Amino acid sequence: MFGLRLLWRDWRGGELGILAVSLVMAVAIVTGISLFAERLQKGLVAQSSHFLAADRVLQSPRPVTAVWLDQAEKIGLQQAQVLSFQSMVFVGDEMQLASIKAVSDHYPLLGQLERSEQAFTPGQRVEQGPAAGTVWLDSRLLPLLGTQVGESIYVGEAELQITGVVVNEPDRGGSFYGLGPRVLMHLDDIPATGVVQPGSRVQYRYLFAGEGKQLDRYGEWLAAKLGPSHQWLGLKDAQPRIALALDRAEQFLLLAGAMGVGLAGIAIALAARRYSERHYDYVAIMKSLGATSGTVMSIYTINLLLLALAATVIGCLLGWLIQSGFIYLLRDYFAIKTIPGISGRPFVVGAITALVCLLAFALPPLLALQGVSPLRVLRRDIAATKLSQGMSWGFGTVGIAGLMLWYSQDMTLTLIVMSGVALTFASVGGIAWYLLRGTTLPGMQAGSTLRLALASLRRRGMQNAVQVVIFSLSIMLLLMLSLVRTSLIDEWQLQLPEGTPNHFLLNVSAAETGAVASLLERNQLPSQPLYPMVRGRLTAINDRQVNTLVSKDDSARAQIDREINFSWAEQLPEGNVLVDGQWWLPGSSNAEMSIESRLAEKLDIVVGDTLHLQIGSEPLSATVSSIRQLDWDTMRPNFYMIFPPGLLKQYPATYISSFYLPAAKKTFLNTLLREFPTITVIEMDAVILQIRTIVNQVSSAIELVLALIVVSGLLVLVASVQASLDSRFQESAILRTLGAGRSLVLGSLVAEFTLLGLLAGLLAAGAAEVSVYSLQTFVLKMHYVPHPWVWLAGPLLGALLIGLAGYVTCRKVVNTPPVEVLRAL
Amino acid sequence: MIKADKIEKTVPTSEGTLCILKGIELEIKAGETVAIVGSSGSGKSTLLGLLAGLDVPSSGTITLGGRVITSLNEDQRAKVRAELVGFVFQTFQLLPSLTALENVMLPAELSGVAGARQLAEKYLQRVGLGHRLKHYPRQLSGGEQQRVAIARAFVSQPKILFADEPTGNLDTVTGARVIDLLFELNREEGTTLVLVTHEQRLSERCQRCLTLSAGAIVADQHRPLPAEGE
Repeated sequence: MFGLRLLWRDWRGGELGILAVSLVMAVAIVTGISLFAERLQKGLVAQSSHFLAADRVLQSPRPVTAVWLDQAEKIGLQQAQVLSFQSMVFVGDEMQLASIKAVSDHYPLLGQLERSEQAFTPGQRVEQGPAAGTVWLDSRLLPLLGTQVGESIYVGEAELQITGVVVNEPDRGGSFYGLGPRVLMHLDDIPATGVVQPGSRVQYRYLFAGEGKQLDRYGEWLAAKLGPSHQWLGLKDAQPRIALALDRAEQFLLLAGAMGVGLAGIAIALAARRYSERHYDYVAIMKSLGATSGTVMSIYTINLLLLALAATVIGCLLGWLIQSGFIYLLRDYFAIKTIPGISGRPFVVGAITALVCLLAFALPPLLALQGVSPLRVLRRDIAATKLSQGMSWGFGTVGIAGLMLWYSQDMTLTLIVMSGVALTFASVGGIAWYLLRGTTLPGMQAGSTLRLALASLRRRGMQNAVQVVIFSLSIMLLLMLSLVRTSLIDEWQLQLPEGTPNHFLLNVSAAETGAVASLLERNQLPSQPLYPMVRGRLTAINDRQVNTLVSKDDSARAQIDREINFSWAEQLPEGNVLVDGQWWLPGSSNAEMSIESRLAEKLDIVVGDTLHLQIGSEPLSATVSSIRQLDWDTMRPNFYMIFPPGLLKQYPATYISSFYLPAAKKTFLNTLLREFPTITVIEMDAVILQIRTIVNQVSSAIELVLALIVVSGLLVLVASVQASLDSRFQESAILRTLGAGRSLVLGSLVAEFTLLGLLAGLLAAGAAEVSVYSLQTFVLKMHYVPHPWVWLAGPLLGALLIGLAGYVTCRKVVNTPPVEVLRAL
Repeated sequence: MIKADKIEKTVPTSEGTLCILKGIELEIKAGETVAIVGSSGSGKSTLLGLLAGLDVPSSGTITLGGRVITSLNEDQRAKVRAELVGFVFQTFQLLPSLTALENVMLPAELSGVAGARQLAEKYLQRVGLGHRLKHYPRQLSGGEQQRVAIARAFVSQPKILFADEPTGNLDTVTGARVIDLLFELNREEGTTLVLVTHEQRLSERCQRCLTLSAGAIVADQHRPLPAEGE
């Protein structure tokens, strides 16, 4: 009870200010980021799951046993089925190769299915696919077949009524079966079509949706039963690019959160140290009045716990407001209708953060209070038996590292950040101490502002060195975060820049290549070259048959189990990089080939191996003469195996290309397909748009989080400047009593802090570069590029921020009448 | 009430051990008023600290209210202080974040006395500060601060009051008023008073005057108690 009153009096007396604010900030930042990250993550996962139209998909070339589906039913998963295949559709005499998708009642489980009444009009969201007996067609298909909504169409032997136009399906992108204009029908009509027979090239997709735990349970149950032709797909398999972007965004948010905690921790440690130092007299008086060490400790411990409780409540509330602000700011980006709910975890994270921060950062200095001698009431020069610096830093380091690890659940990330921090401590501390150590000039050098500042810097060499370390650390963390953010966003933007090819052309015959190229050119559509494509199988590597190979991973098996696209080229295609061997000489018709590096690695193929292939019924053998690396995400035609032109020319080839078609010119596809009806077009524009939207959302979120961390960085700076305020108060009062002008004193204080900031910023730039290099190389797996600008930005930022913080806090020093300061001493 | 037996106090310094107090023998009776005088560095404040149990001697024993405090640890001594001792300091030693009332309540609160507030108000009224209960130390003059300190010293109704240069930070007129107040209260409460002072005026009002020089008692003068207000 007494402790509570003391806490209240401390608060009212302004003693608790910075400590309480730092603590609240720590909790608010951690809770806010956790809440936001969780909601963002859930939201994005939910939105991204729409690429699958489900949370998980089981893909199979044949129907799966009913037992599997019954098990999913038992576990409580929602289910739907999709059957995809290609077939001719007919209206009167008109016919067209279409991509048929037959769906069950509950399709789609997730994501947006859009339908419109007329071709080429915006769609409306619908909950279900077409009813039995009806179909919805791709806009493009209506003019191609010369029909319209309301009329009928034949799919195989079944006559179905066209009742709408399918504008958008969530799971359209990427699949091979997405070739050709879409016909969406009901699964129940399939038997009537007579198209799907045993052995038909069809794809069954079983869609599942439910809670994460249910899905995992079912996935585990299923794993043992899956055959080589089955695929169990999650978001990562459906959209590896989005999964990667999300992974990195999550890591970034965690990193940012961890840094937020670290920064707030430093602020708390500084504030607690100051609080404790200001309480030495307090404790001495209490002890002289008969308080035991136990009473003192229980008072302060209870105070700390009460403070933690209050900070948790206020911080959580503030964290909630912060994330609400984020969600509000991002409301336009959140395409999802309902923002997902939240778990209690972020609040628990906040509460534990408050407790750990207090234990690790605030307890050591407060423990020192226990050792304050009551004799201090008679002799103020008696110092408290301080906890050793090493021990108190040790507490803090263990606290930060523990929180970071717990928070990010990532050992590598924690180790790198902590090493960065340790590096900053060691090198920056050493350099700062060397530069600032007390040297030659005697006296205060009170003649000029700058000389007074320089002398003051040197006089407090050790204290300033510690302060520079703290400044450097905050600036380093801020620079590090903004560097990682910049390269992250840049990389995302670079992956799919404006004008990225968004349509693939397949099945272009050799005779059509010139006409297709000139049609694209006439319509001013930027396109990739037309590459020849021959399909074949890999049968043996050297003398080993591939069907006897035990591959390192199943995905490689899947790749060699099916037909692979081969191509030929005189020159190494754009965007490909040779990593081993030699590209062939022009005009070569030797039996040699170039293989893609990841496939080569999976199958243990090296330069000099002989691969045996089968194209149609013809065997072909060639020696691997080079290995190429390429980026599959570029939306350009890419090939696993390329041969010299002479070698494949006798085989029948079709050509492939990709081009960029702006949304406004979408009807160009009709012109193209009318002129070249046998060509297949894969439309990737919807997928690219979705990826862009997500990348934009995540980028904005990251910028906001960075802003939050900047706030906690500033808090550290203010706390650190405040920490050195007491001795400055005294010095400035004496200087002013002795006749120094207000502007001289304030000027020298600001100059002192600016110089400290300049030095800290310079040292921070170095430490940030090293840390960013490690982070990008070891955690985010990104390509590292040096950032020369940080060497300028670091010192400038440091000088500006710390100079400003110094000015704001030190104004009080010169505005308080000297007599008041001296009287309080 | 207070008994010191062969007290020595030495401190280690860079130039060897420094002896601050040597062979102090002393007995103070209940209700006695004692002034400790001497030049700067003679060991007055050290002796006061030892007698009050704020510090321990290097050798010798001190008995306070019948208890040998030299054999107690800091926490046990704190309990003895809470029970027996009140303090008035040269620098007042008020807690800046507490109001006058809260400062006076503090010792009562620490020893868990019921009705701390009423008691504190009573003593503040007694020292003439009933109208400044809610004021913080920085809003009070030096004399007022010392009166708050006196109220705080008496609020726990101590058996012994230790005062270290109680007028050292005050001007003559204010100092005189504070001295009057201190002795008035002392008489009313029947407290044993031990004070350290430079001021002759103050030492003359005590029944007994101990003179310290270079860590030893060089004079112990008893004088007949002058009637208060003379």
